[in-house]
Amino acid sequence: VGAFDALMQGFATAATPINLLWSLVGVTLGTLIGLLPGIGPALTIALLLPVTRKLDPTGAFIMFAGLYYGAMYGSSTTSILLNTPGESGSIVTALEGNKMARKGRGAAALATAAIGSFVAGTLGTLALTLLAPIFVKFALLFGPAEYFALMVLAFTTVTSVLGASKLRGAVTLLLGLALGLAGTDILTGQPRLVFGLPSMLRGIDIVVVAVGLFAVGEALFMASRRDLRSAEVLPIKGSLFMTREEWSRSWKPWLRGTAIGFPFGALPAGGTEIPTFLSYFTEKKLAKNPEEFGHGAIEGVAGPEAANNAAVAGVLVPLLTLGLPTSATAAILLAAFEQYNLQPGPQLFQNSGDLVWGLIASLYIGNVMLLVLNLPLAGVWVRLLSIPQSLLYAGILIFSTLGVYSLSNSIFDLVLLWIVGLIGFLMRRYDYPVAPAIIGLILGPLAEAQFRRALTISQGDPSVFVTHPLSLILLLAAFCVVVGPVAFNRLNTYLAR
Amino acid sequence: VTTQISRAGLLIGLGLLIISAVIGYDAVMMEVPKVHAKVGPRVFPVLVAAGLGIVGVMTLITVNRKDFPVAEGDTDWRAFGIMAAGLFVHLNLLKPLGFIPAGLALFMAVSFALGSRKYLRDGIIGFLLVSAAYFGFTQFLGLQLPAGILQGIL
Repeated sequence: VGAFDALMQGFATAATPINLLWSLVGVTLGTLIGLLPGIGPALTIALLLPVTRKLDPTGAFIMFAGLYYGAMYGSSTTSILLNTPGESGSIVTALEGNKMARKGRGAAALATAAIGSFVAGTLGTLALTLLAPIFVKFALLFGPAEYFALMVLAFTTVTSVLGASKLRGAVTLLLGLALGLAGTDILTGQPRLVFGLPSMLRGIDIVVVAVGLFAVGEALFMASRRDLRSAEVLPIKGSLFMTREEWSRSWKPWLRGTAIGFPFGALPAGGTEIPTFLSYFTEKKLAKNPEEFGHGAIEGVAGPEAANNAAVAGVLVPLLTLGLPTSATAAILLAAFEQYNLQPGPQLFQNSGDLVWGLIASLYIGNVMLLVLNLPLAGVWVRLLSIPQSLLYAGILIFSTLGVYSLSNSIFDLVLLWIVGLIGFLMRRYDYPVAPAIIGLILGPLAEAQFRRALTISQGDPSVFVTHPLSLILLLAAFCVVVGPVAFNRLNTYLAR
Repeated sequence: VTTQISRAGLLIGLGLLIISAVIGYDAVMMEVPKVHAKVGPRVFPVLVAAGLGIVGVMTLITVNRKDFPVAEGDTDWRAFGIMAAGLFVHLNLLKPLGFIPAGLALFMAVSFALGSRKYLRDGIIGFLLVSAAYFGFTQFLGLQLPAGILQGIL
């Protein structure tokens, strides 16, 4: 079946009333949590995992994907009107967007963000549609050794590009891997890091870690920082219909943002943060009047907002075709696949074509819904921004503890949540990135399984990882990611002398 | 580069070494049947323990070189303590008192820690939210939440 036929089949799945409803629920919830600081797509999907266990997986994934897209739309509104980003992918949007709002051009900023998100989301989904079948063919070449090597590459890139330093990225990745070890070893039944506690035998649930690091850690951090508490919500001023000049200044940044965002999303680099920064600096460099940057340049909103939506589409390529999460939210989505006993990769496209193509088709539909939800209804959403932060975080923690407790009605999980929450606070306080920990936790057990499978097939001969050409290439790439920048610096200082 | 040796950095480095030692000890103490000896459950924990040991030592080295930058900004440890304590009290009260009273206590503690002093407003909103969550999740989603002291009344 060609991609086009498959996609048409997908539209038939996505356009059923029940799946349209799931899509609407997803994009609405996504806009909401994108808008609210302190709660993001990774945390929300983690909290929804226990509740969606009995749902039809197609509907659940349509909702999750809509939520991920929607969060990128909603967060721009918060950046522009509140000057604090709703999500990390909209940090740079605040730079120019809030300045625009202060100058009475808030409506234009919201419009270029929403339309740019729509353009990028649609083009990104189109790229996903075209690339997925190619990636699936490529994935067929992968055996256990290659999968292991790919995960090693993901571990190295994710630690190298996120956070204040490589060392800090490596610390949180290893902590994530360590948390993933706890529990009963699947292959041998050997208890690991259980410390004689029966509750530890089933391991540490991903929901506990995600909620601990994102919700509890974030709330504790907000409590510790008095200076982050007060923020002023600006009213939407101006017309939501962009002027001819605003259109002509926006469309190129949208396309460039899409071109930057999509590939970066597909790389294991943590999702949306890096491409939005890159897009911002690209626009600043290419702008006809760069002196306007820092005082409300519309290009600085249009580019990054397109980039973060395109990045989300990019994230889905390796996630669906290889089972490789490249951002924290993607890691949680991988856990959702595990919950339904689905294995992303070629088999998923073969055995659950309805689900995958229904999911991809729903993204086109969801993007249209999001444009409608975010542009004419912007004024309605803005009222949510006046919820006091104290009540917002109190509510988030009520639902967080409820979600974790309901996993298995155990107080022990709440104790774990408390401990992980304190670790999450320390990570924020001392500038350690959170995403590597989540990716390590979810990818660690999978990497170990592939590692042991590869060695079992080779009867214990570790050379499989370097004699398979594809595996060797991936491991060399991982090596270059770690050593490359250091060697490059040395060379530079040597040449400068 | 800071002028002083960072105490936080020192503690983080030492903490990583302790975690590394715990994981290493756990791996060594495993009784693994001979069939699994080569690619058994021990290999990965040993690798993770070694990795944590290395980053722990590297953290201590950067701290010693006074090269451990920490974000400035004054930390409100009191508010942090109130919220952390609130969460701890909540998990201890959940079973004996029940979901609604414990949740209300958590709600109040969190909003107090974040600077809200409108007790009546917070109390009413908190009570409504916690009750709605309790009934929504027990009646419609079939979850079991502890009723506690309100057993029989609810």
